[in-house]
Amino acid sequence: MLLVLLLTYAGFTALCLSMPRHHAELLGARPSTRRRQGLALAGWLLLALSLWAAVAAGGWSFGLVDWFAVLMLSALALVLLLPYRPRLAMALAGLSLLASPVAAWAQC
Amino acid sequence: MKEGFRQAMAWLHTWAGLVFGWLLFAIFLTGTLAYFKDEISHWMQPEIAAHSLDSEASLALAQDYLQQHAADASRWLIDLPDARDPGLTVRWQQAPGKPGERGRFESRTLDAQTGAEVQGRESMGGEFFYRFHFQLQMPYPWGRWLATLAAMVMFVALISGIITHKKIFKDFFTFRPRKGQRSWLDGHNAVGVLVLPFHLMITYSSLVIFMSMVMPASIVASYGSDVRKFYDEVFPASKTPERADVAAPLTAMAPLLAKASEQWAGGHTARLSVSNPGDASATVVLSRAGDRVVHDFGRAVTFNGVTGQLLSSTPDQPVAMAVGGAFYGLHMGHFAGPLLRWLYFICGLAGTAMIGTGLVIWLGKRQLKHVKSAALPFELRLVEVLNIASMAGLVSAVAVFFLANRLLPVSLAGRADWEVNAFFIAWGLSVVHAVLRPGRKAWIEQLTLGAALFIAVPLINALTTPWNLGASLMQRDWALAGFDLTCLATGLFLGWAARKMQRTGDSVSVRNASPSPRSITVEQGAN
Repeated sequence: MLLVLLLTYAGFTALCLSMPRHHAELLGARPSTRRRQGLALAGWLLLALSLWAAVAAGGWSFGLVDWFAVLMLSALALVLLLPYRPRLAMALAGLSLLASPVAAWAQC
Repeated sequence: MKEGFRQAMAWLHTWAGLVFGWLLFAIFLTGTLAYFKDEISHWMQPEIAAHSLDSEASLALAQDYLQQHAADASRWLIDLPDARDPGLTVRWQQAPGKPGERGRFESRTLDAQTGAEVQGRESMGGEFFYRFHFQLQMPYPWGRWLATLAAMVMFVALISGIITHKKIFKDFFTFRPRKGQRSWLDGHNAVGVLVLPFHLMITYSSLVIFMSMVMPASIVASYGSDVRKFYDEVFPASKTPERADVAAPLTAMAPLLAKASEQWAGGHTARLSVSNPGDASATVVLSRAGDRVVHDFGRAVTFNGVTGQLLSSTPDQPVAMAVGGAFYGLHMGHFAGPLLRWLYFICGLAGTAMIGTGLVIWLGKRQLKHVKSAALPFELRLVEVLNIASMAGLVSAVAVFFLANRLLPVSLAGRADWEVNAFFIAWGLSVVHAVLRPGRKAWIEQLTLGAALFIAVPLINALTTPWNLGASLMQRDWALAGFDLTCLATGLFLGWAARKMQRTGDSVSVRNASPSPRSITVEQGAN
């Protein structure tokens, strides 16, 4: 479930940054159109990948339940972390991306 | 036209949410607690010790015990211990005096490792929250009807809420704290939208669970007035075979567990039911534990009780039942391991917070008009009192329920009832307190009281029993330790909420909306 958490958290953060308002708040500048599209694409890809990771680990029934649970919780964690500790929220997303190959390796 | 529709939906959301909000808050909070039903029961009956599991050994002990104490019974029921419920429960039914009568049931709890009888203190444990969640402490069937009605209103409120909320995707990641009413609305939207899959699943599945009661038309159409026949077909209950009146020793049951597991692709047995033990006609029915997401109603394997031969196995359930079973399984979460169970718990808290913040917003909006006047109009004051008692009061009452378990004498007659009474007395007193004190003061005082009560739970536990936090950590009894730690965390959080309210009250002269305890739990969970 750790890999799913890392991927969904990083995915949601990318989707959040793909929105101009949040990008400006968090990184101090409005994103270019290409950057926005890139972030959105990366976000959706990470979420899709997390679904695959969940189903691969737990089969369809348990995997889907796990995926939904982690999906909701990672989004909630991100949204509640952003206003209080925006830098930490960003740093965690970076860490998640870095740690996900390790988690994937441990899961296989 | 479109705006008119949205306004109508907003109206529906506002009023459906208000009228049923207090009830739904209690239903969600107790339902959330019920995800830890077995763990709460374990804490409330700590005499029943948890051991590492060995189903075969426990079953052999149970069989020995029943052979000695209930050899002439017509039926034995054995509930095996599992990771969450440590007790090995044996029950037996005396042969009825006259045919057609139901024999009396006797029940004992055994230690899963030694087979000795253990007497847990009399308590409803987590079962209380579970029962309250859908029966609301009302006589059958009124509580269930009211809970079902509440579920329908919840569904309406969810759908109308989605329609009312214009910018779901634009505001997806938006939460702006410390902005008064704005923050409450942000919080309400955030826990509503981000946890929406859970809300929809839990609300819709509750309607499916109550379907046979709420929408009997489909059953009545196929089975007419013979509804009993429907249930017989859906739940192929093992029929008690005729006694042969020839004595024959019962086979050793422990090896049957492995045979049943083969039938279920590795599934576990939760309960064994033995008919006519000691007779040549004996049968043993093994029922499967709820270890799958799709709940399998009445899944069982039947063995001959003398030879141990496999007699029958219930067939795979049809698709329609599997769909029903999926909703049932998802709602109950029996299959969830510790981690997923915590996620269920957090989702439940988020749902509770959504309802709580909604109630606070309703009042906050209307209070703004009366900032200058000394007293609120009656109807707003009523909502305020109900908000305080149904949220802060309920939370305190839960702590009182736990404390009563430790403080009431173990030998008290009707002990389990007195625990429940303590809960309702505390809840009732919170209403009186909220009526007598001005709104903000009542909030602060009740939150402070709740904080003190919850922090007292692990302390009183350590003073009155040998199962203190240190001991349960040493014994690696995570359920007991987790319970104490969760109470401590809840207490600290309530204290923080009370202080925060006091500070905003001091610095802001304008009457602000009052925070609900649960709403901030979610924030805390993220920090």
